[in-house]
Amino acid sequence: MNNKNNPLSPHLQIYRWQISSLISISHRITGIINVIGLVIICIWIGLLFAGESNYELINIFFQSYFGKLFAMGFVWSYSFHLLSGIRHFIWDLGYGYEIKTANISGIIVILGSLVLTVLMWGIGRALI
Amino acid sequence: MVQFSLPQNSKILKGKYYKDKSGSDNLKKVNIYRWNPSNNENPRIDTFEVDMNNCGPKVLDILFKIKNEIDPSLTFRRSCAHGVCGSCAMNVDGTNTLSCIKSHLDIKGDLNIYPLPHLKVIKDLVADLTTLYKQYESVEPWLKTKISGKEKEEIKQSQKDRAKLDGYYECILCACCSTSCPSYWWNGDKYLGPAVLLQAYRWISDSRDEEKKERLKKIADELKLYRCHTIMNCTNSCPKGLNPAKAIGSIKKMLATS
Repeated sequence: MNNKNNPLSPHLQIYRWQISSLISISHRITGIINVIGLVIICIWIGLLFAGESNYELINIFFQSYFGKLFAMGFVWSYSFHLLSGIRHFIWDLGYGYEIKTANISGIIVILGSLVLTVLMWGIGRALI
Repeated sequence: MVQFSLPQNSKILKGKYYKDKSGSDNLKKVNIYRWNPSNNENPRIDTFEVDMNNCGPKVLDILFKIKNEIDPSLTFRRSCAHGVCGSCAMNVDGTNTLSCIKSHLDIKGDLNIYPLPHLKVIKDLVADLTTLYKQYESVEPWLKTKISGKEKEEIKQSQKDRAKLDGYYECILCACCSTSCPSYWWNGDKYLGPAVLLQAYRWISDSRDEEKKERLKKIADELKLYRCHTIMNCTNSCPKGLNPAKAIGSIKKMLATS
């Protein structure tokens, strides 16, 4: 059938988001953020070797609101990707494909990532 | 490169508004995707006011009411009207389902009806599934055995082996799952998609089939199989309550452990 000029039916524009699809795309995005974040951390450590003045500069950045937000965001992104990754491993073992289980595990990933962020932040700041 | 937005000729325009003439106090607004191949216009969304006091409970009933009483040119596929044939698969209220078993009472507010996502539209709610059928053919969905003659008339199977097909043989190939899958949207020409992979798994796990290894080898492909990222839209949309994501996961596990 020749239907080259026929329109394409709408897809992303109309399809309702599910918990599972939302986590799936977030897993990818946080994966990319983590790679960028790790590169920045490497540069940071690299700069430390270049002397004290550089250390001060980075210190000022992390003391600022934007710097804190950036660090917190990275910790969250890392937590989310970690938990979501574990969820993927469990699937690979052959468990947790039922809709109900997948939804529950999805919610655990979302809530867990927030808890883990607070925990890591607390431990890092020596509050816990 | 993946194109997230619709091509120029597929952009949806505002369509006609069909006002209710019955004077009913129980109206539902139904927005339906329309495209007519005989004129050169873009697709549009027509809005129909439907009198729900004189209408059946299913989405398909609404479509029939509109076709019979308001606009006879409305085009959609349907056959059995009991969720057995899979013809009336479409996107209702944002998810793919069979319109004949979807109750409009489950949907609050306006009712939005589109054809199955990311397919070439033939007319209105009818979309082209040629690629999917070709892919189905590619997994050779028939029993392969060297047994011949009298013996082939009945190949026996233990109850346990037969039970392995439960949840897979019920698939009616309505394509709700495949067209709900973002991976299938972006790579539909190469990735087999949930419906076809579920069918592939149905034959792989059949104890009477003798070509399990060959079947597995054939679909063990970066694009054909591993484009599945367990997004789970397929399982969420299946109107028969089957689990294509689990079938694909089982194939992956079989390949990883064999």
